[in-house]
Amino acid sequence: MATTSTLRIAWRNLGRNRKRTFLAVSAIALGQLTFLVISALMNGYGDQYFNSITGPLIGHIQIHAPEWREDRSIDLAIDDLGARLEQLRADPGVAHAAPRMYAPVLAALTDEGFMGMVIGIDAQVESHDSGLLAGQDLSGQMGERRVLVGSTFARKYDITPGMELAVIGQDVDGSIANDLFTVTNIVSSQVDIVNSLGIVMSIEDAQEFLLMPDQAHEVLIHVKEPEMVLEVVAGLSTLPVVDGLEILPWREIVPQLVSMIDMIGAFTLIILVIVFIAAAAGITNTMLMSTYERIHEFGMLLSLGCQPNRLGRMVAVEAMLLGLVGVTVGSALAIGVVLLTMDSGLDYAALGGNDASYQVAFQGMQITSRVTPKLLPTDIGIGIVAVLFTSFISALWPMLHIVRLEPMEAMRS
Amino acid sequence: MSDTLVDIKKVVKEFHTGKVAVQALRGVDLVVKTGDFMAIVGPSGSGKTTLLNIIGALDIPTGGSVNLFDRNLSELSRKDRADLRLHQLGFVFQAYNLVPVLTARENVEFVLELQGEGNGRETTALATLESLGLADLADRRPTEMSGGQQQRVAVARAVASKPKLVLADEPTANLDSENAETLLKMMRDLRDTHDMTFVFSTHDPLVVSYASRVVTLRDGVVVSDEQRNGDEIGED
Repeated sequence: MATTSTLRIAWRNLGRNRKRTFLAVSAIALGQLTFLVISALMNGYGDQYFNSITGPLIGHIQIHAPEWREDRSIDLAIDDLGARLEQLRADPGVAHAAPRMYAPVLAALTDEGFMGMVIGIDAQVESHDSGLLAGQDLSGQMGERRVLVGSTFARKYDITPGMELAVIGQDVDGSIANDLFTVTNIVSSQVDIVNSLGIVMSIEDAQEFLLMPDQAHEVLIHVKEPEMVLEVVAGLSTLPVVDGLEILPWREIVPQLVSMIDMIGAFTLIILVIVFIAAAAGITNTMLMSTYERIHEFGMLLSLGCQPNRLGRMVAVEAMLLGLVGVTVGSALAIGVVLLTMDSGLDYAALGGNDASYQVAFQGMQITSRVTPKLLPTDIGIGIVAVLFTSFISALWPMLHIVRLEPMEAMRS
Repeated sequence: MSDTLVDIKKVVKEFHTGKVAVQALRGVDLVVKTGDFMAIVGPSGSGKTTLLNIIGALDIPTGGSVNLFDRNLSELSRKDRADLRLHQLGFVFQAYNLVPVLTARENVEFVLELQGEGNGRETTALATLESLGLADLADRRPTEMSGGQQQRVAVARAVASKPKLVLADEPTANLDSENAETLLKMMRDLRDTHDMTFVFSTHDPLVVSYASRVVTLRDGVVVSDEQRNGDEIGED
């Protein structure tokens, strides 16, 4: 019951100086709003990085022959591909298992040759959302020496559908591999190498061209639950299907990009600390002013026999209520901002005064200027806990002052 | 326990202002007995408030002995003194007596809550206000009451738990004579009906006229202790 009256007194005390309470609540709300909006943007960036990293280029898991990642040597391949793919796709955690082949080649339309890259794929598998040809099922336009050509590559060398492309490379034996392929379509992919160098053909055509039947250079796996990657890796590692091969989760494949994502978390933490130090100063100031104004009242209560720690508790509860009101307002505003922008996203290019949004490629990832804010319940929770903690810490100074008060000195003030 | 509530012997109280020591009380002897309606009077600086604070366990003497309810004040810790004030004493101050964010009923309830009273608090608070004719003020906050009404609510709060001794420091200082008289009559009725004891520090002749005993202080010394026929006093 003591809690009820402490809460009642604390709540009503907030209304004694409404302007000051309004200012303090506004400061806390602004702090929480800033923190949550920045967190939401950082989460959006994090998701963008994550989706880009674990998207068509790197996937969640990669399987290759040992040392293929370092050497990129054409003969370091996965053999017995069909049987292995069958077993991999049977794993309940695996959503897609996409075999790929890569080989640098020279291509020519007429007398003039240019550098290209044969990319052998299973077009149907690569049409899923995180595939190399996401959303484009072009399997009917591939196979039987029919190929797709990357958009930048095509633009650069004036390649159009219907043209015949002479491709010359080296097969697995070291002999010259050459053949004529008909261009059926020009494609754009999220993977820059496809756009800039890609001569995309069916995996069967690539196997035949490179004399590598039932082989591939890598199998790229997307799992059903991204947070279960390590469990799926652990499960697959015990199977004979990966015997003699290297199986790696995405975090081990691109550690430098992982550290970028981790840096986002650190940045958010720094913002949290800065914002709440500012909020703490506001709350401390409010509580000190409020306490000094009520010294006489505290003296009266001490004279009546109220224990100093009870008064200290009242001040702490008041500070925490102040924080709770502020953090609730700030959270509501942040939720509003995120709801308003979650469909269209926020375009940094437009905010910076540019006319059009941009998209840049970095280490094979596509990063766009448009970010979709994503507010997590845990961020709101962290904000609330941080404000309540800050409020309590802010109340310590006035509390220490109060618990040392002597009733008559306070009454005389 | 005997009918002696407070027994003060040769009490000295010294205050230090920088290097200068000022003696506010210089060997005061005083006994407060059950049923006293005592006014402590004297000019400013005579030590009235200091004496009242010592009786109220709000301050401890520099010398001499003070027994409150058979307990030696000098031996009590800060917490023990707070407990003593909470459970044995009632206080009425000159002004700003009430918690401004609580209604009259809540102010009375709050002290009952501090005393550890359980679910019956609200009933007790309302009954006390009603018995003092303050029921219509129960849901008003101090800012919605006159000074006289606030002081009467403060008395209600002081007596709600039926303490043996109520101390009042200049309780009429901010009241007009009509409100002051109403307040004094209320306190005297409480003394008569509930066997309570009241000690006032005052300059107000009206309070003196109601007192059954008038103790006069001058320069920190009791110069007179006059017993009067209380029932006739204040009726003039």
